[in-house]
Parts: sequence; structure tokens; C-alpha cells
Amino acid sequence: MIGRPRHLHDDRLFECYVAERGGERVDPPAADHLADCADCSARYGELTRFMEGLRTEAEQETDEIFTPEQLRLQQQHISRRIEHLGHPARVLSFPARMVRKHFSSSTGRLAPRWAAAAAAAGLFVGVGVGIFFDSRSRVMAPVVATVSSPRPVGIPAALAAPIFDDDDAFLSEIEAVVGGPHNLELLPFDTLTPRIREISSRPLRY
Amino acid sequence: MSDPRPVSQSDQPAGSPTDPALRGRRVGAPAVSQDTELAVEIRGLVERGEAERAREKFSELVASHQRRALRIAYQYLRDAAEADEAVQDAFVKVFGHIGSYREAWPFEVWFTRILINGCLDRRKARARRDRWFAPAEDASGLDEARYAAAGGADRDPEARLLARERRERLAAAIDRLDGRQRTVFMLCHYGDRTPREVSAITGLNESTVRVHLFRAARKLRSLLGGKS
Repeated sequence: MIGRPRHLHDDRLFECYVAERGGERVDPPAADHLADCADCSARYGELTRFMEGLRTEAEQETDEIFTPEQLRLQQQHISRRIEHLGHPARVLSFPARMVRKHFSSSTGRLAPRWAAAAAAAGLFVGVGVGIFFDSRSRVMAPVVATVSSPRPVGIPAALAAPIFDDDDAFLSEIEAVVGGPHNLELLPFDTLTPRIREISSRPLRY
Repeated sequence: MSDPRPVSQSDQPAGSPTDPALRGRRVGAPAVSQDTELAVEIRGLVERGEAERAREKFSELVASHQRRALRIAYQYLRDAAEADEAVQDAFVKVFGHIGSYREAWPFEVWFTRILINGCLDRRKARARRDRWFAPAEDASGLDEARYAAAGGADRDPEARLLARERRERLAAAIDRLDGRQRTVFMLCHYGDRTPREVSAITGLNESTVRVHLFRAARKLRSLLGGKS
């Protein structure tokens, strides 16, 4: 009894494809079978078409994206990059770097120490002088108070000062301005405006 | 070797360590390729201080590997600008460390390894960014604009839309692959690397690479509607 020839498995078919594609010798029994068996030959053809389709698709896609012009550009970029391989990158000097340059490694640590010492000394002297002048002004304060006249209670110091200095001259000046020809229209407003003395003499109402 | 890390086998979210049993395992080096010879020549020029000539020679290497590198990087990152940067970084890194290059490793393997590690780092960084920051703009939109600026907009809009949908589906399907499967699939299928070379890049056993590749293809066929 003659047995029916068994078909090639997928992996054997694939091996044949890989071998053929790589220019290697296809396994002779498999090659013989493919030559005799129409089914396996059809399967092999289908496999080859599928695989070649994938490759063609990928090649077309890449060729469409990377045109000859782009390949040329890329070659130029690569050439430019390898030209600069031997040269170390140039470091640009910025002002900050230049300032830092003044402090050499030996003075780099001293400078902040000097600055800190000067700041501390300045603070100490400042506090000392401040305390000294503060105590002196306290000693001088009663003398000044005795020289100046006492101001009336309830009137702020800013308002009280002109009353005691040039009160008459100031009031006469006001009266002269108010009595001027261009200020007649303002007189009703002036009469409505309360005077400071009236306010200070009036008892507070809540 | 300037970038001795083996390519991370699981890049979800990229960076989990390689299987210790497989780490550092190297599969027999193939015959010395032209690129490898060129890389050795460049190394000699750099060592002799002939930087100008070394750069000229290196531009030949860039030209021969650039497209393939971009294809891998773009499929990994799905962002044209990032892929561009990743490829540039990889080339610059290779030139910067050419002194440590040894011809025991084919140049393609060495370069691809550096590129893939860069891509995985970028994926990892992107995952971190996406966690903390709101996305500024959709990368696919930018790529579409780039494509349109390149003259691709002349094509039939319907065909463009269909192609875009197809590519998005494919990208989503690839993204659903296991980290190792994805890396192996990308390198074999998009990077045109043989399983042996992928084995050298990833540090995985060659038969393991073949198994991952088969499983990746099977999963993609089931995800994309093909038979498996």
C-alpha cells in the first residue's frame, strides 16, 4: 500500500521561503515535495506573496517619506556632525561666569567671609550708634519741652503749631484772600464750613 | 566594541534584559564583506590622523547603509523625524568609535546593532514621555505632511488613503508582536539580514531566530487576515 504523501508543515514551508530569500539552498526533500504537490506549492506561493507584500509595503512607505533629496540632506548632516566630533564644544563666556572668574580658588572662599564680617561689623556699629543717639535724645527732650509752649488739649500738634507761631498774620492773610473780588461766590461755602475753634469748644455728641 | 550591549530582546516597553543564557553568544562570522574592509580602512585612516580622508570614505559607508537603516528605524519608531535622528546618531556613533571596531564582526552587524539599540532607547524614552506629557502632535500626521511635501500628494487620494490604512494596520500588527519576534522580524524582513546575521546582532541562537521569525510571520498573517 502506497501512503499518501504528507503535506509540508507551515514551519517547513517558511524555512523554504527564508532559505530561498537568503540565497541558501532549499532543503532537497522539501524542494522535491513542492515541485510535486500542487497544494503545498499553492500554499508556498501564498506565503511568499504575503511576505513580499509586507516588504514591498514597508519599502514603498520609507521611500515615499525619505526621498533622495532627504537622503542627501541626511548625509550632509552626518558629515557635518562627524566633522565636529574631534573638536570639543566651545564654551561661551557669560558675564556671570566672568564675575566668578575674579574670585580665584584661593579667594573664592575668603570673599564671602569678608563680606559677612563687614556686614556684622556694620550692624554692630549701627546698633551702638542708634542706642547712643536714642539715649541722648531722651536726655535732651525735657529741655525742648520747656522751651516750647504748651498746646491746648484736644488739638493735634500739626494744627496747633501755626496758631502759636504766626496766628495773626495767617488769619489776616485768609481774610484778605476771602475778601478778594474773585472769591465772593465762595463765601456761602465758607460760612457753611465749621471753624476749628467751634469744633474744639463744642462738646462731643454721640 | 563601542556599544557592547546586545540588542534588547524584549522592547516592550523596551529594554528588558536579554536571556542570560544567550548573552554574548556569537555565531560564526561570515566572510569579510566590502563594507567591513572599508570600515577597517577608515579605522586605519583615523589612527593615522587622516581625518579628512576617513570622513570621505565614511560617506561611502553612509550612502550604502542609509536607506536600509532608515527602513529599520522608521519601522521601529513610526516617526520620520525620530528615525532620521536615530540613523544620524548611529552613524555618528560608529564613526566616533571606529577605533574600537574589530573585523571579527561584520560591519553591517556592528552598525545594525548600534542602530537597533538606539531605536530601542528612543522607544523607551517615548514611552516615558507619553506617560507624563500630552502628545504635541500626531507623528503620522507629520509624516503625512512630509510625504505630501515630497510630492507624494500627486497620487490618487483614494489610493493614498487605502495605502495609509494598510500601513497603519501593518504597523499595529507589528507592534503587537512579542519584543523578540519584532526585532527578529524587523532585521530579517526589513533589514535584509539572514537569520545568521540576526543571530550575531541579537546574541540569540540561530535556530531561535528562525523560530521567532516563523512565529512572527504566523502571527502577522493571522492579524492581517492572511492564512496561518
